[in-house]
Amino acid sequence: MLELRNLRKSYGSNQVLNDISLDIQDCEIVSVLGPSGCGKTTLLNVILGITDITDGQIIFNGEDISEKPMEQRGFNIVFQDYALFPNLNAYKNITYGLKNNPNISTQEEVEGLINLLNLNEHLDKSINQLSGGQKQRVALARTLVMKPKLLLLDEPLSALDGVIKESIKERIKTIASEYKLTTIIVTHDPEEALTISDKVLILNKGEISQYGTPEEIINAPKNDFVKEFILKQLTIKKNNIFSLFGGNNE
Amino acid sequence: MNKKNFEIKTIFVFVTVLFTLFLIVPMCFVLIKSVMADSGGLGFEHYIDVFTSKGFLQAVGRSFLVSSVSAVITVVLAFIIAYAVNNTNLPNPLKKIISITTVFPMLLPTITYGFAIIYSLGKKGLITEFLGLNVEIYGFRGLVLGYVIYTLPIAFMLINNTFKYIDKKFIIVSRVMGDSPLQTFFITCIRPIIGTLGAAFVQSFFLSFTDFGIPAAIGGEYTVVASTLYNEMLGSAPNFGNGAVVALVMLIPSILSIILLNRLEKYNFRYNTSSNIGIEKNKVRDFIVGILSVVILICVLSVFVVIFIIPFVESWPYKKIFSIEHIIEFFKDTSLFKIYLNSLLVSLLTALCGTLIAYGAALVTSRSTLSRKSKQVVESIALIINTIPGMVLGIAFMLVFSGTSLRNTFFLIVVCNIVHFFSTPYLMMKNSLSKMCASWETTAMLMGDNWFKTIVRVVTPNAKFTIMEVFSYYFINAMVTISAVIFIVGARTMVITTKIKELQHYAKFDDIFTLSLLILATNLIVKGIFAFISKSQEKRKEKR
Repeated sequence: MLELRNLRKSYGSNQVLNDISLDIQDCEIVSVLGPSGCGKTTLLNVILGITDITDGQIIFNGEDISEKPMEQRGFNIVFQDYALFPNLNAYKNITYGLKNNPNISTQEEVEGLINLLNLNEHLDKSINQLSGGQKQRVALARTLVMKPKLLLLDEPLSALDGVIKESIKERIKTIASEYKLTTIIVTHDPEEALTISDKVLILNKGEISQYGTPEEIINAPKNDFVKEFILKQLTIKKNNIFSLFGGNNE
Repeated sequence: MNKKNFEIKTIFVFVTVLFTLFLIVPMCFVLIKSVMADSGGLGFEHYIDVFTSKGFLQAVGRSFLVSSVSAVITVVLAFIIAYAVNNTNLPNPLKKIISITTVFPMLLPTITYGFAIIYSLGKKGLITEFLGLNVEIYGFRGLVLGYVIYTLPIAFMLINNTFKYIDKKFIIVSRVMGDSPLQTFFITCIRPIIGTLGAAFVQSFFLSFTDFGIPAAIGGEYTVVASTLYNEMLGSAPNFGNGAVVALVMLIPSILSIILLNRLEKYNFRYNTSSNIGIEKNKVRDFIVGILSVVILICVLSVFVVIFIIPFVESWPYKKIFSIEHIIEFFKDTSLFKIYLNSLLVSLLTALCGTLIAYGAALVTSRSTLSRKSKQVVESIALIINTIPGMVLGIAFMLVFSGTSLRNTFFLIVVCNIVHFFSTPYLMMKNSLSKMCASWETTAMLMGDNWFKTIVRVVTPNAKFTIMEVFSYYFINAMVTISAVIFIVGARTMVITTKIKELQHYAKFDDIFTLSLLILATNLIVKGIFAFISKSQEKRKEKR
């Protein structure tokens, strides 16, 4: 279980995260949702360990890891731009971590991941030859080889279009349940957040606006921000799609 | 020291200490020397001495005049060539040949240009006799010609680079909006590069003003600032105090140039896209610009023909018969060949260590989380070096290190070269590193890499091409430079360019041109090796 206790982060007088407290249960998928500048990327960096916190505690499975350096926390991330190494082909990217830690995943486990992510025919390709969706899957595989205790995904779908978006979404869900992974996803898209996760954390101006299941957010929005910025968008989308299919939107 | 970022902090400290010891301290020495009276104590007697001597102000005036004239000519010629390469439908192979020949003189030292001009255009010169000319080339004319040949490659590279990024679509837009051809030319061609034309002028002026090799060879009685400086330091009656004053005077236009260059930045256009839409058909334009470019390049190259002829002629200009005697004698003379080995050693060490230092410094500014202040320190070092002419740096080294055990050592020559040429390699490295994905280090660290492993496994392989470019930049410049090293070489550590200066006294031009050919051949080989490596790498990539 990951517990955040009264987390604060400020740069000078600029308060980026203010009094964030919440629990994330094992094997849960949690989306962090909010407009740009709300602090969601900072929260991600703080949990990962790139950024130090100003105040508060991060507790993972009962241990206070607030001061622990990033590489000792055992968490891992897939960045928005994937950060694949262009000097290595897809397979070498996937197995990058094995050079440092040969026993972290067995050959069978690596092959299992490659199969699950449907990457078999792309292993010899250089990074520049891969499509956006393929890059995303390679980056996911590379991270999963490291068997992270917590998986962080930064805007994993924003660079992908239509159909691929939906298929990657499904894959993320499959991986989370298959590997029993606690997953935190940062996104600015309400539809994405509410359809992929067990719980959604809505941030506004560095504070928690609402933290709950998708149903709770739809049926019991806690404040005007959630209503105005999250629900309104979804309603417009819903109406558009209904009118497109000529159906009744009630 | 905090354990976090330990490696990058070590690099930062090393770079800072290096440039403090071998740039800041020596430059302060020049300043101190200039205000030290001969009797000891402070005094401005050197300033009074230098500024009241009639010759000095005349030399300054001449330097300004000859450098401005050359810079104007250079910019016009460079523009024509760049226009031919970028804005015409000339066949691609021809464009490629034009680009390559234009930068060819960079592979030779400037002092060779001077002697090549003498042997081509002087009395009994190759071109003089061939065309039946009779022009006085010692002094103003020779200097202008030499400076133009010297600065044309640099001006061309600057203008060419800007031309490449002009969005050609605007030519079409201008035409369909009803502009006249002349208006179109000014709006879509001149206006976008006006800043670069200015920069090319300033750069050419600065290079001519501070060059030592050309006036050393062909200046004659026409004394410019560079020759005055040399005479004050290494002439028959040296006066280091006066030399320090002259060095500081030379620094003024250099600093002004850098300020001007930064100002001119603002005139540069930023195109969002660079669509290559094809260039309007215009055979007359292509023909005129094409012919002009070819003529310019033939003129430049014809000056260098003598280098390939003189060493193979029995006795120029009296006995014009083919003979390889000079060459045989040259290689028999082990002392001359040893000087070539010295040059090779210095250039290799400069390229190797220089590349490492530029790489390290660029890592500090573009791929570390060090404070902004630390990064500004590195940036300032690069900026300061840009303003310091080689001659001034050489004199500074001479003043600081004479009397120490470092005097005349290879170590000092290599360090001097590394400092002297640091700016460009650093900017090349920084540019390349800052374009790389920002999350690589974090990702690699999460995969179990330490900092050093990340650099070896990820950053370096992806910076490979820039590293090779930087290496060859350092190598070639170390091979052709004379301005700084002339003041710090010793008898045992002589390099080719300084030996050429010495051979001038004995009028041994066969040896001068043979040594020049060796420099040229070596530089061509180095260029060739790197071109081969990058070509085969690209092919391998394509295959994959």
